[in-house]
Amino acid sequence: MPTDDPDGAASHSADQPQSRWNDMMAFLGSWSKAWITAASFQLVVVVGIIDVITGYEVSVSLFYLLPVSLSTWFAGRAAGASVAAFSTVVWLAADLVRRPHYHHPLTPLWNALIMGLWFAVVVTLLDILKWTHANLEATVLQRTGKLRNEIEGRCRVEDQLTQTNADLRVIRQQLQESLDDLRKSHAELQHTQLQLIEAAKMESIGRMAAGIAHEVKNPLMTLSLGADYLFERGSTRHDEVELLKDMKDAVQRASGIINLLMDYSKPRPLQLVNEDVNSIIESSLELMRHQLIKHNVSVVRKLQVSLPPLLLDQRRMQHVFLNLFTNAVQAMSGGGTLTVRSRAEADATSEAPGGGTAGGAGRVFVEVEDTGPGVPQEHIASLFEPFFTTKGPGEETGLGLSIVQRLVTIHGGSIAVGNCPEGGARFVLTFNYRTKG
Amino acid sequence: MAAKRILVVDDELGITRGIMMNLEGAGEYEVRTENKARDTLTAARDFRPDLILLDVMMPEMDGGDVASELRDDPVLKDIPIVFLTAAISIEETGGHEKVSGPMVYLAKPVVTSELTKCIERHLRQQSPS
Ligand SMILES: Nc1ncnc2c1ncn2[C@@H]1O[C@H](COP(=O)(O)OP(=O)(O)OP(=O)(O)O)[C@@H](O)[C@H]1O
Ligand SMILES: [Mg+2]
Repeated sequence: MPTDDPDGAASHSADQPQSRWNDMMAFLGSWSKAWITAASFQLVVVVGIIDVITGYEVSVSLFYLLPVSLSTWFAGRAAGASVAAFSTVVWLAADLVRRPHYHHPLTPLWNALIMGLWFAVVVTLLDILKWTHANLEATVLQRTGKLRNEIEGRCRVEDQLTQTNADLRVIRQQLQESLDDLRKSHAELQHTQLQLIEAAKMESIGRMAAGIAHEVKNPLMTLSLGADYLFERGSTRHDEVELLKDMKDAVQRASGIINLLMDYSKPRPLQLVNEDVNSIIESSLELMRHQLIKHNVSVVRKLQVSLPPLLLDQRRMQHVFLNLFTNAVQAMSGGGTLTVRSRAEADATSEAPGGGTAGGAGRVFVEVEDTGPGVPQEHIASLFEPFFTTKGPGEETGLGLSIVQRLVTIHGGSIAVGNCPEGGARFVLTFNYRTKG
Repeated sequence: MAAKRILVVDDELGITRGIMMNLEGAGEYEVRTENKARDTLTAARDFRPDLILLDVMMPEMDGGDVASELRDDPVLKDIPIVFLTAAISIEETGGHEKVSGPMVYLAKPVVTSELTKCIERHLRQQSPS
């Protein structure tokens, strides 16, 4: 709040004429009383002379009141009284000079006495008025002082308030900082909690996997061996051969799921080799060929040639792509287009001076797009969670993308999901590379 | 060259039958199957196999125990053993056998071509001695 002038606007405007009057009075009052008294006596003489000259008694007589009033007001009661006495004498003298023809010789004296009395009354009244005025002034001064005190007090309170306000602001700032700290710790805690939950989940998946592995893999092996046998010496009929291939594929897929579950809970070290990610994409597409044809999915490759090599575990990356491609195929139930894109982006800062054969760092992006319905916004956050699936119960485990994410992450990469403007889902994988010159 | 003799021990009938039909179908092997772990020793003494395919997880007695019984037998101790196991994933073996010390493992479900390759490799290692 701004501090106002202590003489508030309200009182100021009312005081303006009064204070000018006071200034004038003070100016006159600063003349010495003697001077004023002397001037008054002279004025009395001047009025007396005019009185004699004009001979117009009543009007001119009133002018005697001027020196009497002036001296009373500015020089005090005594000065006023003496000027009044002098005025009476002068008036009498002037009267005698002007009108020597009164009926009775004492009439001028009587007139002078009445005049003197009038003067005395004026002196007394003025004195009383002055005294009252002085009192009033004192009261006003006192009031003004009080007001000033009050205003000063308010100012002080206001200063204190401003100070307190500033203090409060500092405290608020500190509180905000503590709050931020708290928020951060809370987020960290939440993260840790999620990790713990994740670890617990994985452990239970692992235990479950070990439990069912034996029970499921034995029957799978029986099926697999049967299919192998029939395949080797079965009929030459094309559809039967295809059927047997499908059976063998099915067995491999089923055992793949068990393996996933087993691996999910205890990941083994990566076997990292410098790989061209394009060749892994190609081999994965090759493995998917049957499925792609069967589901009427055409493939568009937009692979950048001569990508910088990445340190990858070939089998695991194949696994990543197989999962993404399978999801895409499943999303496009009536067929569609699967687009796979790869490109490299060098870090602006990594270009070594001299260029040419110098090594560099940057990122390789792989995008997998389909023309299916895309991922609903509300599913995006949970897509990579284990067991999240929208597919029918018993059909899928919902582990696919969570494993994909884990595999990509342990390669130091990241995966994100979004939707293409045209509607299908788009998965973007990002890997860092660093090549030696 | 006489057909190699393979003894297959697994408590699952479907598996022993499947392996037998596939291996014998190729014409190069003579296969005997055994579904009771306890009878492995008797069967081996009787059949004198060139290689034993042994399931790891079986009721009554597991593959490890059977193997140590075989190793303790003066006549049978040099017969190569390939374990079949559901406890390791194909990913772990890279789709092929896994050798851990003197033990050779194949992850179930194994396809016939891999099985044959593995048998051949260990028979060949055996033959010079
Ligand atoms: N290309 C895609 N288009 C639309 N939705 C997708 C796509 N890929 C994945 N999803 C959604 O994400 C869910 C989770 O996928 P995820 O691969 O983890 O599990 P799943 O495919 O259901 O089962 P599985 O474990 O067999 O892979 C799917 O159920 C599906 O709803
Ligand atoms: Mg999936």
